[in-house]
Amino acid sequence: MNRYLKLVHMEVHRFRWVLAALMAITAICQISALIVTVLTELSRREERLSQNIGNSSAPVPAKDPLTFEWVMMITQQWFSLPILLSIAVLGLYAFIIWYRDWIGRSTFIYRLLMLPAARSNIYFAKITAFLLFVFGLVSFQLVLLPIEQLIFKLVLPADLRADSHIVEVISINQALAMLIPRGFEQFLYSYGLGTIAILTIFTAVLLERSYRRLGILYGLLYLGACGLAVVFPILFLGVGTPGSSFFPEEIFVIVLVMCALVSCVSVWLGMRLLAGKITV
Amino acid sequence: MIEVQDIRKRYRRRDVLNGVSFNADKGEITCLIGVNGAGKSTILKAVMGLTPIAGGSIRIDGQAPGPKLYERIAFVPDRLTMPTGMKLAEALRFMEDFYESWNSERASELMRFFGLSYSDRVGSLSKGTAAKFNLLLGLGQDSDYLLMDEPFSGIDLFSREAIMEVFTSELIEGRGVLFTTHEIGEIEHLIDKAVLLQDGKVSRAFDCEEMRSGEGKSVIDVMREVYRA
Amino acid sequence: MNTSGGWKEILFNNRDPVYLQVVRHFKERIATGQLLPGQVIPSRRELGGLMKINPNTVQKAYKEMEEQRLIITEGNSPSKVTNDTELLNQIRSELLGEAVHAFVASVRKIDVPIDELLLLVKRTYEEAPEA
Repeated sequence: MNRYLKLVHMEVHRFRWVLAALMAITAICQISALIVTVLTELSRREERLSQNIGNSSAPVPAKDPLTFEWVMMITQQWFSLPILLSIAVLGLYAFIIWYRDWIGRSTFIYRLLMLPAARSNIYFAKITAFLLFVFGLVSFQLVLLPIEQLIFKLVLPADLRADSHIVEVISINQALAMLIPRGFEQFLYSYGLGTIAILTIFTAVLLERSYRRLGILYGLLYLGACGLAVVFPILFLGVGTPGSSFFPEEIFVIVLVMCALVSCVSVWLGMRLLAGKITV
Repeated sequence: MIEVQDIRKRYRRRDVLNGVSFNADKGEITCLIGVNGAGKSTILKAVMGLTPIAGGSIRIDGQAPGPKLYERIAFVPDRLTMPTGMKLAEALRFMEDFYESWNSERASELMRFFGLSYSDRVGSLSKGTAAKFNLLLGLGQDSDYLLMDEPFSGIDLFSREAIMEVFTSELIEGRGVLFTTHEIGEIEHLIDKAVLLQDGKVSRAFDCEEMRSGEGKSVIDVMREVYRA
Repeated sequence: MNTSGGWKEILFNNRDPVYLQVVRHFKERIATGQLLPGQVIPSRRELGGLMKINPNTVQKAYKEMEEQRLIITEGNSPSKVTNDTELLNQIRSELLGEAVHAFVASVRKIDVPIDELLLLVKRTYEEAPEA
């Protein structure tokens, strides 16, 4: 247990700068977009006020107060961009978290495999670290939102703004809504599926690392098989399929069972490969 | 004793190891000799459980390679085994954290002996210093066996001399040392046993002093017989 | 350390057992007075480091010397050169005998009368600067 935690710490430590950079980019992108949008709107209103011309095509009538939701709508891309970037980086890192130990001047995998502890610790440490990165970034975004709301209030005079609820704010931005689902159930589904996907990728990588050239094929086949196993009940037994003799609830249970099966097989195979088939 | 019994391995449609058998005793320096690509490194990796074998068996004091053994058998590969971004001090800390057999006192002695600096980063080490640091990571463990892959090749003269000095010191006394080399030259007098590899097999395995007194041949003489034939 | 001087210069050949070469080196030192009767010799570890040979070889050489009663090790105290004068003389004549044998073997090929040879040896020996 102790060694597992040390390995998790080690993995987090190695990714800390990338994580910090992603957080910094997110904060800078979102906050500057927020400030620029509000200031531009303010100056436009002032201009309009001085010219005393009412333009009917303006998105918000000059007298209407500004809301944080409105800003979120306008700055949609600038809020989503760093989120998508983080997702892309993390997606890539699902592979790099393994390959970085093999490739390059230093081959840390030698040391990891020679540690006097069960090799499953390596696997679990990497998956734990990875989930920590994901939830770390998500919670950073969650903390960032109220801060951004505060900045919004600071930039805008009180008479020009109206209050809004953070839940509505999140649902306006698609990327945010995807990242932070409203219901706990939805949260479990998306992050559960994500975790299963990462486990599958990990095992595919280990297949490649164990069998090398042939392993690429094995890895791809494994990914395909796992994907199919999860999607198959919906596609072929699903609701709307002619002649389907399953209730939607039954399909749902089958998918759940498939997901559990895929994760168990992935973890089990990953352990097996690490213990006996992996090669440096 | 490290017992390697009839091990086999294929890599890219070539029999790299085609039934290799030999023993390496505790308290002796055994040298695996062979040209580049003869499978020397593969044997060490197999003994350490870092690569699977297709057949045969490996026993270390009767046990199969596995996590429990890593306290008692240390491996010094010919490459760095710590993340390049780590400082040497952090790397030593890592070793101390994970190995019960880690001897920090000896590690700091060796840091001094090799002239290494705690604040250097692993990635910034030159080839010679990297070899010394690698050796330090191996010697820092109070292990019964020490495996080394080409500890003398590709490094500068002074690093080589420092490493040779380790071979003649109490640091390896009582341990079983198994290392690979493709040239014997200056280390002829350092080794107790020689195992000559050829075409994925052991062509000769002998005690160097016995060879000298019995047949009046040096290790190089035997190598000449084997590899020139 | 007074015992460590001069141990490095030994050059081994690869074809004779290293431990026997070490023993011979000790005998030469004793015969030439570089090692005195009863003098403490370097520990096994020290000698291994000085001569750049592995500890097992040193161990073997010391064992051989102990068996030949050339050195004496009592309990945990450091090994010493023997005080046995008879043995020391024997080493001297052994080395001398070996050298003469080698000399004669190589000179015999050149057909030379013994008187002429002895005269030549005498002259060369006297002319040669002392080592």
